[in-house]
Amino acid sequence: MLETLGNLGLGFSVALSPPILIYAFAGCVVGTLVGVLPGVGPLAGISLLLPATFGLDATRAIVMLAGIYYGAMYGGSTTSILMRIPGEAASVMTCIDGYAMARKGRGGAALAISAVGSYVAGTVSVLGLMFLAPPLAEFALRFGPPEYLALLLFGLLVLAYMSAGSMVKSLAMAAFGLLLGMVGIDQMSGYFRFAYGFVELGDGLGVVPVAVGLFGVAEILATAGQATPPAVIRPRLRELLPSRQEWRESAAPIGRGTVLGFAIGILPGSAHIISSFVSYVVEKRLSRHPERFGQGAVAGVAGPESANNSATSGAFVPMLALGVPSGPIPAVMLAAMMVHGVSPGPMLIQQQPELFWGFIASMYVGNVVLLILNLPLVGVFVNILRVPYPYLYPAILVFCILGVYGVNGSVVDVWIMLAMGLLGWVLRKLDFETAPIVLGLVLAPMIELSLRQSLAMSDGRYGIFVQRPISTVLLAMGLGLVLLNLYSFVRRGLDWRARLALAEKGEEAR
Amino acid sequence: MTLRKIRGAVRPVVLVTLLALLPPAAHAQETYPSRPITVVAPFPPGGVADLTARPVAAAMEKVLKNPVAVVNKTGAAGAVGMQFVATSKPDGYTLLLALSSISIIPEADKIFDRKPAFTVDQFAPIALISADPTILVVPADKPWKTAKDFIEDARKRPGQISYSSSGIYGTLHMAMELLSHAAGIKLRHIPTPGAGPAMTALLGGHVDALASGPAVVIPHIKSGKLRALAGWGDTRVAALPEVPTFKELGYPEAEFYIWAGLFAPRGTPEPVLAKLREATRAAVAEPEFKAAMDKLQTPIALKQGEEFQRFFDTDAKRLAEGVRKVGRVEDKK
Repeated sequence: MLETLGNLGLGFSVALSPPILIYAFAGCVVGTLVGVLPGVGPLAGISLLLPATFGLDATRAIVMLAGIYYGAMYGGSTTSILMRIPGEAASVMTCIDGYAMARKGRGGAALAISAVGSYVAGTVSVLGLMFLAPPLAEFALRFGPPEYLALLLFGLLVLAYMSAGSMVKSLAMAAFGLLLGMVGIDQMSGYFRFAYGFVELGDGLGVVPVAVGLFGVAEILATAGQATPPAVIRPRLRELLPSRQEWRESAAPIGRGTVLGFAIGILPGSAHIISSFVSYVVEKRLSRHPERFGQGAVAGVAGPESANNSATSGAFVPMLALGVPSGPIPAVMLAAMMVHGVSPGPMLIQQQPELFWGFIASMYVGNVVLLILNLPLVGVFVNILRVPYPYLYPAILVFCILGVYGVNGSVVDVWIMLAMGLLGWVLRKLDFETAPIVLGLVLAPMIELSLRQSLAMSDGRYGIFVQRPISTVLLAMGLGLVLLNLYSFVRRGLDWRARLALAEKGEEAR
Repeated sequence: MTLRKIRGAVRPVVLVTLLALLPPAAHAQETYPSRPITVVAPFPPGGVADLTARPVAAAMEKVLKNPVAVVNKTGAAGAVGMQFVATSKPDGYTLLLALSSISIIPEADKIFDRKPAFTVDQFAPIALISADPTILVVPADKPWKTAKDFIEDARKRPGQISYSSSGIYGTLHMAMELLSHAAGIKLRHIPTPGAGPAMTALLGGHVDALASGPAVVIPHIKSGKLRALAGWGDTRVAALPEVPTFKELGYPEAEFYIWAGLFAPRGTPEPVLAKLREATRAAVAEPEFKAAMDKLQTPIALKQGEEFQRFFDTDAKRLAEGVRKVGRVEDKK
């Protein structure tokens, strides 16, 4: 403990030295800009900027890339809240309640809460990273394919709770999303599925083009289809800050989101994407007013935004402690270290204490920088809403196309986005929700791969899922959850149907 | 992204404008290069192809005194970028930095009776930059102390010892398949989405073995978590002098390299190719380039002309054979 604090002192002496501070700041600014661009998420951002850091020394490069990473995570919420365009899969849930808040004139409050939530999550999870990294990393590695599958099945359960309205419609969309996730090369056999001769479809449908299409483009089409354009919101300065009530309602979700995001974030693989979905559902289940979700519930912004930020730091645990990439973004960071001759691995902490502790300390500094940067920017960004729709929406559409094209330089991605935009518009007209499609698309390839990897490990025996302690516990918890709901369904069957009918009526009224 | 992108977009525009202002050159046809060259890395930034392409491009830019830019065109395990270059105009302005998988992808396409995205004869080799043999590693707590122990145990328990790979028909998979056939053993294959996840699976104890590049395995060998049993190279790896090769152990067919090489589309005029070969030779001799590769812990293994063509052909033949032996997974059992 004392040693850790001493090391942290060393770290801060590195992180607060002017050159490092400048790079941390630059990284945060660039990251925020990248995050604000629709369609360009943290992965695309740091991938594109990685070559620019090759000329720097290792510590500066890592600090700057980390700044870009969490800057983009902060910035991603901006377009989700103001324009309903998710910058990446993790901010899909923010689009729902954040945008609803913005429509009610609480856009500033939503932005402020997500900035503060991200700050709390970022800072607390760095503490977790600092004190728990080595033991947690060992534990995280024990998550093999069977454990992963058990965890992802939880994700499937989450799907069932996502809807505000009809359960049938929501499940239909989830199933559709799962089917979309089947496109691409089969990881186990190398077979191209549903690619129709397009090599570009080999990696499947990208989550970003699908999400930007279903949310952003569909929103633009829907607005264009209205006889009278919606009134332009003119945010007033005193409405920018969240009310006392809103703070109170978001405190607990921020705390829960932080813990949840960190726990999911440390697992190797891409599970961090589901952290914001899980957080949303947890908040909805715990809320005394679940009916407010989808209509602008503060908790629906605070929870997921905190969760995706603490998952960011969580993802660094296996990377720093063991030198194994726990996802695509840490993989890029590891590459940045290798370019500078720092060999990432279990020896990093001993061999490069200045880099390691400087990096940790810079994460604290970066979070403060981002908070300082983002709170005043709330006022700036909210003013985007003052632009009349005939000018604003075509501009947003251009940015969506540029952003989605820029990530891979692929025209196929742009077509996917436009097709999904059209589909999203039709689905909106028919009162289907589109978030379950995105979650289904995210989950399908992961579930399939972990199921088939598990079976390859066990030579086709399903017993593997109950022979390993972690997966057994997770599966038992999932089963318990299902039984619990089944019980309340049987006991209060009438009541539940009545509630559903009410919810549907509410939907029609809207 | 914005700054770089804008710069990347503006630079050609400025150049074209400047060129338009210049009086027409008398030998415009003969001066290559006269505009920026693009090197396509068919994998995402941070991967081996990208990390090799960038210092190569930087050094070539210096030698040719002409802009050389790296563009990542990713997708479908590299097939998207490779296909892009295969069908580009063969004028020497679009080059490809490919890895061993360039010889595997068309063979895998054949296995599934689909129209290949490209074929190896669509490329003209310029230079081999690096070629690292894969190393067989197992967790330190496993009973196998030598490759002999491993192979004997695998013979006794066919299909029981598992290994992870970077994906089916991926480089790490092919290395293990070549060994399996050379030694007459059967191992259990657990594909993962990349070299990183494959290492994670090994460190987590979910598989028993892995073949991966020296730069990836060495830190874990040094920390005592993994044990190296043997390498796939023609000679031992300099950084691991105590680790024998499979060739020494009597399995000469188990030879495999993760290599990176520079290619142009087939049909590129010979003078242009000659210029590029010359530029690459000068580029890899640049101290900055050597320093960059040193940091990646990847030795430079320059091969050009006939020599590279021979290496490429032998390697392609070996891998094609390997892919055919694997065949279609669903056809088995």
